[in-house]
Amino acid sequence: MANLLGKRYTCHECGATVLVTKPGEGTVACHGAPMEQHQAKPLPSSD
Amino acid sequence: MILEMAASGFGDRLAVGSLGGDGLTFAQVAERAARLAADLRARPPGPLAVAAPTGLHTPVALFGAAAAGRSYAPLNYRLPEASLDELIRRLDPALLWTDPVPLDPLDPLDPADPGPGADGDGGAAPDLAYDDAPEAPAVVLYTSGTSAAPKAAVLRHDQLAAYLFATLEFGSAEPDEVNLLAAPPFHVAGVAGLLSSVYTGRRVAPLPRFTAEGWIEAAHRERATHVFLVPTMLARIVAALDADPSLRPPPLRHLAYGGARMPLPVLERALELFPDTDFVNAYGLTESSSTVSILGPADHRRGDRKLLTSAGRPLPGIEVKIVDGEIWLRGEQVSGAYLEAGSKLDADGWLHTGDHGSLDDEGYLYVTGRADDMIISGGENIAPAEVEDALLRHPDVAAAAVVGVPDDEWGERVAAMVVPRAGAELAVPDLAAWARERLGGLKAPAPLVLCDELPTGPTGKVLKRDVRAALEGTRATQATS
Repeated sequence: MANLLGKRYTCHECGATVLVTKPGEGTVACHGAPMEQHQAKPLPSSD
Repeated sequence: MILEMAASGFGDRLAVGSLGGDGLTFAQVAERAARLAADLRARPPGPLAVAAPTGLHTPVALFGAAAAGRSYAPLNYRLPEASLDELIRRLDPALLWTDPVPLDPLDPLDPADPGPGADGDGGAAPDLAYDDAPEAPAVVLYTSGTSAAPKAAVLRHDQLAAYLFATLEFGSAEPDEVNLLAAPPFHVAGVAGLLSSVYTGRRVAPLPRFTAEGWIEAAHRERATHVFLVPTMLARIVAALDADPSLRPPPLRHLAYGGARMPLPVLERALELFPDTDFVNAYGLTESSSTVSILGPADHRRGDRKLLTSAGRPLPGIEVKIVDGEIWLRGEQVSGAYLEAGSKLDADGWLHTGDHGSLDDEGYLYVTGRADDMIISGGENIAPAEVEDALLRHPDVAAAAVVGVPDDEWGERVAAMVVPRAGAELAVPDLAAWARERLGGLKAPAPLVLCDELPTGPTGKVLKRDVRAALEGTRATQATS
């Protein structure tokens, strides 16, 4: 799974979240497992 | 980091500027920010202070300062020179930009040099090395301060980032989205609007000076999709559209408002004038990195009048509680820190906002007003908002500000300053009688004074202390004659 720019990934084990600031190949992993892409809760723009 | 991401994700997109006018792509902003950062690093410690209207330089200044590990301090360029000098002295900046911003070495904006990333691949990100210090101050904003001298609120990188991450998805803007930025750069909404736009990839079209007609024209010309307005601005826009039917409401997708209480009659009329626009009420403070609670588009179209007066529900990551009627906030984006005074959070990390409010059973927040503005007359608490909304329902009233003035008998009395609608013949005794009929003797304003316009601050917020000062010398009998 490639890492997508600006996407967030979360670890199920410890709750750590990472934000991809430079895209690339490979998998972000934590606690021995690939982290899961964080599904953002869509919120209306407030500014 | 955020600008670097934007430059690498959509570097050839226009970041700031006008349609058919000057502009900078995200890659060009990043390239100029990198050059500014290099310049700043060679200077003695201190922030970058900018006393100028929003322009092409604004994102360059914000992100250039951050890259150099300096804070960015946008100042109210409209202040009298002595006041501005005092704010600058307190900051001791490494570099001060004044209007017009000397863009050299950022200028000239050479159209033949669209900057890296403009070659179509969007991936040639410029080298924007930055100091990675999330707990360092990012932005210093002088808050208007309803009573005393302005306080310099400090917002850290991690706090501003928490706001972005809680509310937005990176690069989520459609390519045609445009934010007509009318909030001044030194207001937290101006800073947040700029950050959000860069993070989502939305073009910022600066509106350096606000007039209702100018805003309507610019919104059409720039094909604005997103706007943020303080209530005074929306009130003026609504009045202008109603006064001149040849002016068409621009086809906005999204209209957010906040910064002060929105009069219900203004909001209801705006919802009619912009039937296809999503409305969002954003409640927040400078000290909380802007918005902490929002009333969303669906809640605006339910036809529920009480709900229209709500500030909505807290953002994810924000805790809200009411203590003795006062709104308290806690969360990653809540700063509560000031340059000279340090942190004002309590031992458990709560910010005591000084705003009065309540939460209903469904978690909707209602803000009744500043604690300082509450009128106590004969032992009764009176919210100025209620009296102002009542006065605005009179067909000949364009604007109203209500305050408490000292009274020997009642402690305080309700007093009002009212702006008649253009061309209307409004007599004080008639309006006073009209108000007494609807509000009762206790809440009906006396004195009630007519004026051409309300005293407002640089962001359009009504300055209650000036209203109070103007009304304190007047006599109650004016309204009861």
